[in-house]
Order: sequence, then C-alpha cells, then structure tokens
Amino acid sequence: MSKSSKIFKYVGKRLLQGVPIIIAIVVINFFLLNLAEGDAVDVLAGEAGSATPEYMEQLRKRFGLDQPLPVQLMVYLKNVLTLDLGYSFRHEMPVNALIFDRFAATGLLMTSTIILAVGFGILLGLLAAMRLNTWKDNVITIFALITYATPLFWVGLMMIVVFSLNLGWFPTSGMTNVAAFYEGWDYVVDVSRHLVLPTITLSLFYLALYTRMMRASMLEQYGQDYVVTARAKGLTERRITYVHVLRNALLPVVTMAGVQVGALIGGSVIVESVFAWPGLGMLAFESLFARDLNLLLGIFLLSSMLVVAVNLIVDIIYCFLDPRIEVS
Amino acid sequence: MKKLLTTILVAGSCLLGGAAAQAGKSGGTLSFLVQPEPPTLASYVSTSGPIGLVMPKVYEGLFDYDNDGTMVPILAESYDMSADGKTVTFKLRKGVKWHDGKPFTSADVKFTVMDVLKKVHPRGPNSFREVSSIDTPDAHTAVFNLKKPAPYMMRSFSAYESPMVPKHLLEGKDIKDAPLKNKPVGTGPFKFVEWKKGQYIRLDKNKDYWQEGLPYLDRIVGRFIPDASTRTAAMENGEVLYAAYNAIPNIDAVRLKDRKDIDVTTDGYSMINPMALIEFNTKEGAFVDPAIRRAISTAIDRRFMIDTIFFGYGKPATSALSSNFKATNLHASMPNYPEKGDKAAANAILDKAGYKKDGNGVRLKAVLDIIPYGEDWRRAGEYLKQAMGDIGIQLELRYEDVPTWLKRVYHRYDFEMNVNYFYQLPDPVLGVHRHYGTDQIRKGTHFVNSSRYSNPKLDALLDSGAGEPDAAKRTAKYKEIQQILAEDMPVVNLFELEFLVVYNTKLKGVYGSAMGAYGSFREGYLDD
Repeated sequence: MSKSSKIFKYVGKRLLQGVPIIIAIVVINFFLLNLAEGDAVDVLAGEAGSATPEYMEQLRKRFGLDQPLPVQLMVYLKNVLTLDLGYSFRHEMPVNALIFDRFAATGLLMTSTIILAVGFGILLGLLAAMRLNTWKDNVITIFALITYATPLFWVGLMMIVVFSLNLGWFPTSGMTNVAAFYEGWDYVVDVSRHLVLPTITLSLFYLALYTRMMRASMLEQYGQDYVVTARAKGLTERRITYVHVLRNALLPVVTMAGVQVGALIGGSVIVESVFAWPGLGMLAFESLFARDLNLLLGIFLLSSMLVVAVNLIVDIIYCFLDPRIEVS
Repeated sequence: MKKLLTTILVAGSCLLGGAAAQAGKSGGTLSFLVQPEPPTLASYVSTSGPIGLVMPKVYEGLFDYDNDGTMVPILAESYDMSADGKTVTFKLRKGVKWHDGKPFTSADVKFTVMDVLKKVHPRGPNSFREVSSIDTPDAHTAVFNLKKPAPYMMRSFSAYESPMVPKHLLEGKDIKDAPLKNKPVGTGPFKFVEWKKGQYIRLDKNKDYWQEGLPYLDRIVGRFIPDASTRTAAMENGEVLYAAYNAIPNIDAVRLKDRKDIDVTTDGYSMINPMALIEFNTKEGAFVDPAIRRAISTAIDRRFMIDTIFFGYGKPATSALSSNFKATNLHASMPNYPEKGDKAAANAILDKAGYKKDGNGVRLKAVLDIIPYGEDWRRAGEYLKQAMGDIGIQLELRYEDVPTWLKRVYHRYDFEMNVNYFYQLPDPVLGVHRHYGTDQIRKGTHFVNSSRYSNPKLDALLDSGAGEPDAAKRTAKYKEIQQILAEDMPVVNLFELEFLVVYNTKLKGVYGSAMGAYGSFREGYLDD
C-alpha cells in the first residue's frame, strides 16, 4: 500500500474515532452546564428590570427550557447530528451564524499567534541551544522567563499604554476603525493594524513556552548517538544541526502546539477582553454569565472538534518530520 | 367641561426652533461606549440599560424632558388634560415619517400603547395601567381614556420609557419575536444600519428627519469594549467620545476629568433616579424585628460610603424617596437616616429591644448578600460588615453571579439582608411602589417586593396616592407613606447614586435632556 493511501485510511479511521469522543464531550458539557443555578430566562428578565412570572414561563416554553433535562439533551443531540447547533435566545440568532461570524476573528488571532509564537519560539530556542551558556543564551532564557511569568492582562494594558496612548502607533482596541468603515485593501490594512497588539500579547506567553521547550529538546538531541555517528561520518556541524537535530527536536514542540490550539480559544478570553477583539473566547465568557447554554455548548463542540482535528494534523506532520514514524 | 391649564401648544416650535438656531456643525461620526453589549434592540420589550443607550436615537417618544423636568414636545406637539384628569388628548406632529417612508399617525400611538407597551413592556403595564382605551378621531389626534387619573403617566413618554413603534411592522405578528426587534424602524434622527456582534452598532443620519436641519451628526457608532481599563484608554485616545452609566469607572473618571479635553457630569440621570439600598427579609431570619432594621439604618455612615467607595458621587438618602422627588414635592426628610451614622444611638436601640451582646460583643449573626454588579458593591459590603460589627451584628458576605443571586433573592427568598440598587424612575408609582406594596410580593419577578413587607394601611395610601390629581393632597399622602416606611424600614435606603457621564469636550449639544445617555442626541455635534 502506498504511503498516501495509508494516510487517507488513517485519517478516516481517526475521524470515526473522534465522533464518539465528541458526543461524550457534548453530553458531559450539557449536564455540567445545567448544574449552574438559574437559566437564560432569569438573566434576561433580571436585566429587563422586572418581568411577570407569566412572561418568564412563556419565554421558557419558547426556549424549550420547560422540558425535562433528558428530553432537552435528546433534542440537542438530534440537532447536532444534523449540524444544527440550535438557537441562541440571548442573541436571538442561530448559534451556527453567531459562531461562524466570531470564528473568523478568533481564527485570525489564533493563526497569527501560533505562527508568531511557534516560529519565534523555535528560532529563539534554536539560537539559545546553539550558543549554549553564552550571553545570547542567557538573554533569551531570561526573556522567556519574564514573559512567561507576566500576567497576560497586564502585558496587554501596558502595550496599550505604550503603543497606543504614548506612541500612538496602534489603536487601543476593536477590530476595525468604526469612524471610517474602510473597504477593500484599506480594510485589510485597518484590521492588520488592530491585530498587532493582541497578537503580540497573546504570543508572548506561548513564545516563552516554545523557546524553553525547543532549547531543551535541541540539547537532548545533541547528546544522542546518531549525532556522534554523523560527526564520525564527517558531516558539517551545520548539516547536523539543521537536517538531523532540528527535525527530531521539533517533534515535542509540534505536539505541544497541537494540544494548545484548544487552549488558545479559552486563553484568548483575557486578550479578547482587553483589546475588545470580537472572538469566540469573549463570546463563551459572556454566554456563561448569560446562561446561554446553547451557544456555550456550540462553542465547546467547535473547540473539541478543533482539538481532534489539530491532533490528527500533528500526527500526520510527525511522519513527515520523522520518516520512522508510520501511521497505522 | 373646564380644562386644566396644561396645554403646551407653543413650546414645540419655539423651543426646537431656538435650539436649531443656535446650531452646531453638521457632519462627523460620534463613537460612544455601550456597555455591556445589548441582548436585543427591542426597546419596546426590554428596558435593559444598553438597549436604552442605543434605541432612543432610532425610536422616539411623544415627549422628552429637559434637565428641569419640563416636557419637550417630540412626536406630540401638545397635550390637554380634562379637569377630572381622566381624559388626555394628544395633538401629534404632522409630516413625521417612519424610516421606511410610511407616515406616522395616531393609529401607531394607539397600537404602541394598547398592544405593545401595555402588554409586553416590563414597566408599561404599570405606567399605562389606568388607560382603558385610546380614541383616534383623526390621524393626528390621540385621546387617552383613563379609569382613574394618573398624573405619573405624564412622566413616562420619553423615547426610552415608551418608544413609539410602527404598527405596520408589528401588527398581526408575535410582538416579542417580530423581525423588527433586531432591524428597528423608527421615526428618530438616526437610522439603524448594522449591528456587528461583539464590535459595534452603527446608526446613520436620517436625512428625512421631521425637524429641518437636524440631526447634525452623520453617524453614531456604539462600541462594545469589555475591559474597563481599555474603555478608559479608548476615551483617553479620543477613539470614543462619550461614556455613561459608569462605563468608565469612577476611579478612572476622577483622573480623566483633570485633562483638558475630557469632562465629567452627573446630569442626565434624574429620570432614572438610582438608589442604593439594603433589602431585608421581613418574614424570616435575623431581621424580622423592625427595631434591628432601624438600628442598622442609624449606624451606617452614608457620607463615608459615598466619599470612600464612590469617590464623592452620591447623596445620602434621607427617606424612602429620592430627593429628586423634591421637584414634584413628594420628598420629605425622615428620622433614622443620619448622614454620618450614629453608632451609640444604634447600640441603644438594640439594647432597648433586648438584643444582648455575648462575650465577644456579638448580638446576632447573619449573611449579607451583595449585588454582583462590580467591585464597588463588594467594597460597600465590606464596609457594612465592619460597621455592623461595631453594633454587634456579625455579618458574613456572600457574592454570587447574577443568575444565582437573582434566584436566591427573588425566587427562593433565601436571604436575610441584601445590598442592591433600584431605579426610582421619574415617579414613585413607577419606581418605588414595587418595593413595598402587598400586590408587589411576586415570587419569581425580579426587583419587586422581596422583603415581603405587607401593611394594609400603606397599601391603601399607595393606592390613593398614585391617582391623586391634587398636588397638595398627593404631597400629604406621600409624606405619610414615608413616615410609615421610616418606622418599619423593610428597606433601608443608603444613598442616591450619582452615575457619571464622561465625555470629550469636543462633543456638544447632548447634555440638555433629563434622559441623558438615554436621549436622542439629535442636537449633538462635534466642535474641533
């Protein structure tokens, strides 16, 4: 069997395995969320100042919240299987549309963050490992420690103070300039300008992690027997580092990046909140306090699907990085 | 029948003409803070704060109210009340069009009040409860027929409280669910364009607005920024020009107001009338005895709470009614409301009532629930814990999230003492009665009589005070109401909250309405 057809088969199998995992996640989430006291109707009525019990009963009926829990769960599961994530009563919109709308913003922030964090993390880790125990190594290590230890919201606020208020280079918050409503290329430029500060803030934390990991991983690989063999064969240090050690050292970093994609949705709540970035993290956070369970379940479902998918992609990347690893 | 002198025919053209003559500059975009993001845009179904910030720019009311409480004609040009107070005739403005081009008529007014506000609005059933029918003899006359006189009704015609909505887009539909809720079509100075979830709501100038020359602004954008520090930074950076309802926390506002380009005002909240207070469970728990409640009110240093926690913005409460009701002669200062707090007197009340201190100086223990609307309230709770400790009441604080807290207080009555705040609104009938009336003990309804206080004498007074058309008699009745409440104290008022508006000084023309941020901004303009 050729390698590519093997991979296809493997992907199909893994996706099938993912289905029961995701359904289990949905069911567990459903019951966990329903443990919280109060429902969407209470919050809506509370915000309105006052509402009659009849009105609230009517709302519950409309939302389907008057049904017993198992019935609600079955209805929800049935909808999920037809790719309908239900209706958000808070936003008065289908959950699909809401999530799709926000996912673009989160996707943008996530992608740029991963590229920046993994890219620079690998680069800095590599540099530190190659210049072990020199001042460069020390500077990189200290930088990584400080960024790792600094709270995200504080970094975000300091970014705003320095780069928006004092230097005026970037806007404080939001995704677009609402006074202008740009179109075409101007819009792209505008969004990019708004993207800079949140991306840097969110990457700093992960950057530190990848730097430390890459450095350790490189050092470990340098000590392996195959490096000695390579040297004995007379390969240049350059070739040993970039072709042999680097590829092997990347494996744990890629694994970590895969695991953290899921965490990025949640971890971006703080950054999204500080920079008013209209992403999924913020939406999840708000819907928890509004007891908008349909929406929350939808977001959880999406992130669990994302984690399953990314882990699959990581496993496939493995076999390209290290030909000894085979999918089965 | 002799008519009362309440006609304000002339005011319309004069006032507005005058304002337009002073004239601002046309053009520009105003972006302002809307916090938090509204759940829907149906201001005729929900009175939720953020909806109020946006929708009065799109929907209009029959009247607006200026900072002195004077009625400013908007969709109505004048009104006329019969001598017995049971018929109110509104003359409506001619030539007003909905944003979709259809004319605004008396049929819209009748439909809005009878089928929308009286049925689905949270407060409408109360404001218009005496309205039995509305006659529409012609397209520009609406006659309200009342069962009993309802003087308070005249305070609830603002765009925020009673928005006029298009009959042709709601009739025959499920009113709460009609497409209008998120695609509003009003008569106001700004048209709804777009709501980008998580980012902004965009309103553009209504070029066919009935008032020639208005509005000045080309566009209004309401922005949502979840983090308070970032909101402050956006204000400093000039990215937003206006922030109300403490979107900028007091702690930042006092710093910002020292800047040349930013100023702060407490105007624009008199129709809202927020009052910080403590609700007691009068049926079970530690505070069944009114003497303890009086002692607590006596012990609290209201001045300290205002100065230390709210940076000086607030007025000590002096009765069950806000001092803003002095304008209508309904407020009277009462005993048991010392500004500075008198712990010796409070201890004396408790000693006399027979609550002995144990070896640790503790008379009784209780749990204090705190409204989960931010840090300020938490600090208020911490102060209360300390102050009550001094008179031998040992409190434990409980801070939960909004749904849990609402359930506890208004569904299960599972609380003893609860720090909260209520809007007293432009008339006690609208905002205060719901606290005390026996008919307001409504399990599962939020922000009503959670104390379950019930006093037939008070009920009778509330009932007759509501519809009393004679101003002097009404004053006397409300004085008696306040006396009873100062004695029984099912609720201890703490202080009148003064919310802030933080604004960039280049924004002008939006500070004259008593509705403040809930106003239309039609005369707002940017002056660089």
